[in-house]
Amino acid sequence: MAQKLAADMVSVAFEGLRALSNVTLEIPAGRVTGLIGPNGAGKTTCVNVLTGFQKPSMGRVMLDGLDISGLPAHRVRQTGIARTFQSGRLFADLTVHENLEVTGVGLGLSRREASLKADALLDWIGISALSDRLAGGLPYTDERRVAIGRALMLEPAFLLLDEPAAGMSAEEADELSRLIHRITDEVKCGVLLIEHNIGLVLKTCHSIYVLDSGEIIEFGTPDAIKASEKVRHAYMGTQADAEGEIL
Amino acid sequence: MAERASILSRTIATPVILGLLLTAIALLALLMGSGPFNQTIIDIFIRVILVVGLYIFIGNSGVISFGHIGFTCLGAYMTAWLTIPPPMKKMALPGLPGFVLEAKLPFWVGVPAAAIFAALIAFFFGKILMRLSGIAASIATFAMLALINQIYSNWEDVTGATSSVVGIPINRSIWPYFVATLVAVAIGYAYSISRSGLALRAARDEATAAAASGVDIPKERLRAFVISAFVMGGGGALYAHSVGVVTPDTFYLGLTFISLSMLVVGGMGSLSGAVIGVVLLSTIIQILRLFEKGVALGDTVLTIPNGVQEIAIGVIMIVILMRRPAGLIGNREVGWKGFRKA
Repeated sequence: MAQKLAADMVSVAFEGLRALSNVTLEIPAGRVTGLIGPNGAGKTTCVNVLTGFQKPSMGRVMLDGLDISGLPAHRVRQTGIARTFQSGRLFADLTVHENLEVTGVGLGLSRREASLKADALLDWIGISALSDRLAGGLPYTDERRVAIGRALMLEPAFLLLDEPAAGMSAEEADELSRLIHRITDEVKCGVLLIEHNIGLVLKTCHSIYVLDSGEIIEFGTPDAIKASEKVRHAYMGTQADAEGEIL
Repeated sequence: MAERASILSRTIATPVILGLLLTAIALLALLMGSGPFNQTIIDIFIRVILVVGLYIFIGNSGVISFGHIGFTCLGAYMTAWLTIPPPMKKMALPGLPGFVLEAKLPFWVGVPAAAIFAALIAFFFGKILMRLSGIAASIATFAMLALINQIYSNWEDVTGATSSVVGIPINRSIWPYFVATLVAVAIGYAYSISRSGLALRAARDEATAAAASGVDIPKERLRAFVISAFVMGGGGALYAHSVGVVTPDTFYLGLTFISLSMLVVGGMGSLSGAVIGVVLLSTIIQILRLFEKGVALGDTVLTIPNGVQEIAIGVIMIVILMRRPAGLIGNREVGWKGFRKA
């Protein structure tokens, strides 16, 4: 299994507009890395670059020693880098079980093998009961867990979660945090967690990158991030001053 | 954790029930025994083949294709080239290569050869077209239909241009058509439960997430495109043998519209919908045609004006699209206990 996924001096420009400038970050295996930043900081663009949905204008994406910057999204998944989406994006007309099966099939399994893996994984996450429901009609929280299940098929080396806690209650976010730790501990995945819920990130991550206007402005442990003047400033600049202490 | 039944055992009821429905139709033809009624049943079987062919691509990929009747055209002419007696071919189609001019192949070779030819051409078109999505893909398939139609309408030496190509051996027994229809349904079913079928339905629902699940979308689309062209080409060849004559305009907008209507009415995302849509609409068309010719009720003859049949199909389409946008069957498939989700 790969040990390190990294962005190396990655820049992305959309028609002259810089979405990312010289972003360098590392996601080690078996740990949870956080990526936070104000709205529009470029967090999702960063995930898109790491997963082949966006080609970097400059810089490289490295999986261990291998440059994977040019690969299309489905090939990136086949190298063991999985992701979820902000909006869930489940296959609405397929059952929950089939949603997971698709990844198995996409990664080269037969339908029978994919079906067995899907059953085992649904059981591991604890959502076997949803197995035969159509994915289109699921409540929000279940949708997120199915999306994580779909990404986890065949134990990817890295899992990139794009705002998995959006719209969750504090209790549901706690449960998600536990699930993420089970993923790093039992599946040995390296996880990148992108979240607006700063509390969840501080509690769940081993280390955290802070992105602002397309640049990494800070990196450190949760405690270091909490104490950082730069981070406080970036957030104060964009969020309501009335909140006072944000971190 | 309960052991899940295999995909085959969970879904096999669908093709079996559809097969029984088709068998019942064949037996009906046998009981009636009349020539014209036989021809009607043969027409229905051919329609089923064409609409199942459309389902394989459109139903699984969600990309509407206006071009598939082009493959039917390719199939019909291919079997004509291979099976028309050589003296007639030398007169009408002198531009054919020598070995084709000399060939006098039987019906059962012509039809599979036509299907393979259509699949081959689809492979080359598909290599380019399958990179497109949504409305761009649909319009490109329409361009392909126009392209094929223009070539076959103008290549005098090889296709006879717009004049009819005659002398195709006619087969009036319903059995070859019946067997071919069963084969088409079996192919449609096999594709829908295959890995590629599942991956393509995922891409239909959420293309981005399908790519993130490792699905190579253009590749899976190309597979469906080629397999569906194989079925459409075979259906075209059977059509040629059912009437003995082909012209390029037989395989153009009219047939495209009616085949797509049948698929939409039945339910685009369902094999059962494809088959049931054809049977239902064909029955309605036949009844209306009967009335257009006049039906004697006691002393009075009941006649409806010509054209009512086409208008009725249009009205049925609109009503179904309003009431049931996903078609009569929707995305479900028939099973022993009624319908189940596909």
